[in-house]
Amino acid sequence: MAKYLFVVPPFFGHISPTLSVGGSLLAKGHQVVWTGIQEIAAAHVPPGGRFIVPHAELEEYLPEIQRILKRQDDGPHITGAETLKLALEETYIPFCRFHMKGLSRIVDEFQPDVIVSDCITFAGALCAHIKGIPCVTTTPVPPDVGGDAISAPKIHAWWQQHILRLQQEFGVYTPESVVNSNQMNLVFTSQEFARILEPPTQLKFVGPVKGRPNDTPFNWERLRAATTPKVYVSLGTLLVDIRKEFFSKLVEAFAGEPLTIVAATPPEIFEQWPDNFIVQGFVPQTQLMPEMDAVICHGGFNTVNDTFMNGLPMLITPIAYDHFHTASLIEKAGCGIKLRYKRLKVNDLKTAMWEILDNPKYRAAARHVRDTFISAGGNDKAVEHLEAFAAANSLTMAQK
Amino acid sequence: MDQLTHPTQLQEEEILNVLKQFITEVIGEEFVEDIDITPQSSFTKDLEMDSIEIVAFSEKVKAHFGKDIDFTGWLSNMDLDEIINLNLGDITKYIRSCL
Repeated sequence: MAKYLFVVPPFFGHISPTLSVGGSLLAKGHQVVWTGIQEIAAAHVPPGGRFIVPHAELEEYLPEIQRILKRQDDGPHITGAETLKLALEETYIPFCRFHMKGLSRIVDEFQPDVIVSDCITFAGALCAHIKGIPCVTTTPVPPDVGGDAISAPKIHAWWQQHILRLQQEFGVYTPESVVNSNQMNLVFTSQEFARILEPPTQLKFVGPVKGRPNDTPFNWERLRAATTPKVYVSLGTLLVDIRKEFFSKLVEAFAGEPLTIVAATPPEIFEQWPDNFIVQGFVPQTQLMPEMDAVICHGGFNTVNDTFMNGLPMLITPIAYDHFHTASLIEKAGCGIKLRYKRLKVNDLKTAMWEILDNPKYRAAARHVRDTFISAGGNDKAVEHLEAFAAANSLTMAQK
Repeated sequence: MDQLTHPTQLQEEEILNVLKQFITEVIGEEFVEDIDITPQSSFTKDLEMDSIEIVAFSEKVKAHFGKDIDFTGWLSNMDLDEIINLNLGDITKYIRSCL
């Protein structure tokens, strides 16, 4: 049996797949610990696992962490280039600096065989490099290998320079980046959907992973009594500021249409909702999906994965960050239609919605994506990779 | 002096007018109505073009001004701050330099 330490950022979309994989590792008898710079709800931590926040070492950074988290709300209002700067300079790098000291202590106490570090949580891989512990990266979104930003030489150089400088701060003077694992990178989508024809050998596409059932109550009777096509709408857990604007466009487009809209949002953003909207703040999304006919979302990857695991077509309205890349993959796969949030028109919303519901080609393409997701292997495949990685590395360690 | 600079300005104004037309075609008339397009308009901030719109815009520029204008190639050689600060006037000047 091996010991795995997951290092995660304070973004639930990134944490969620690690909880699923960690849960499966625990079920097989391994020891699993998570560490982050912010607590998560205890209910999310799989039985037998521990989530450790090094509060003592983080205390002096708390106001700064809160400010940076709040700053993420600016994402929808800034340009792509500014978003890149916000991500690397103002978020990933400071979070790495804040986490290192406490992380180092946790590693010394827990003595993991493998550190599993999220792709934007540089502290995990960096600490693993410093302490000589084998490291795996987890990547929840389809990576934009060779994308616009990466192929632009000056932007690539900017990224690289920042990473190398960060590494040097912690005494690592190698000329290559070590903030992601060069040995294994688990990606929670399929290779075909990610459209990466010749992936670097460390990329392992394991498809979406499943978490624990979510037993949040829901008005199932009302949903099942509905006779019109059912459409699930979610804006995820981030993007709090634009929630009202987003849903007011949907209300304008779909009030009174022969559709049943299930909207995952706190109902209090409006005094009144149209009769064909079922609105609830927290919903049992995994259980709802099989009842749906289509999904509208901005491109948060947990909802994207849930949608295609159920073979449903999607109307995607990218807002910021990686949403645009995900949206272009969906268009290329033919399993949905992209309408850019900034240029969203009520009529286009209506036309696109009926097109994905009435034209069977979208659902057929969505079912094909589902098949690629399922054959990627999910939790079992992720566990298999991690076990093999731990075994191979303990062998080489023993030989040393 | 006037005689030397005048034709240049005219040319830039002509280019700007063509670009305004392309922007309208790419992002849609209803969105352009709310924007006062000037040489100072930021390409990404004010016009809020995403990468697909930039490609569409660049194809129109090529079709009109000639295939020697490698607009996306020009963009891909910029650093982040240059992209953030890029305005329509810069693009007009770039096109003029290629003609």
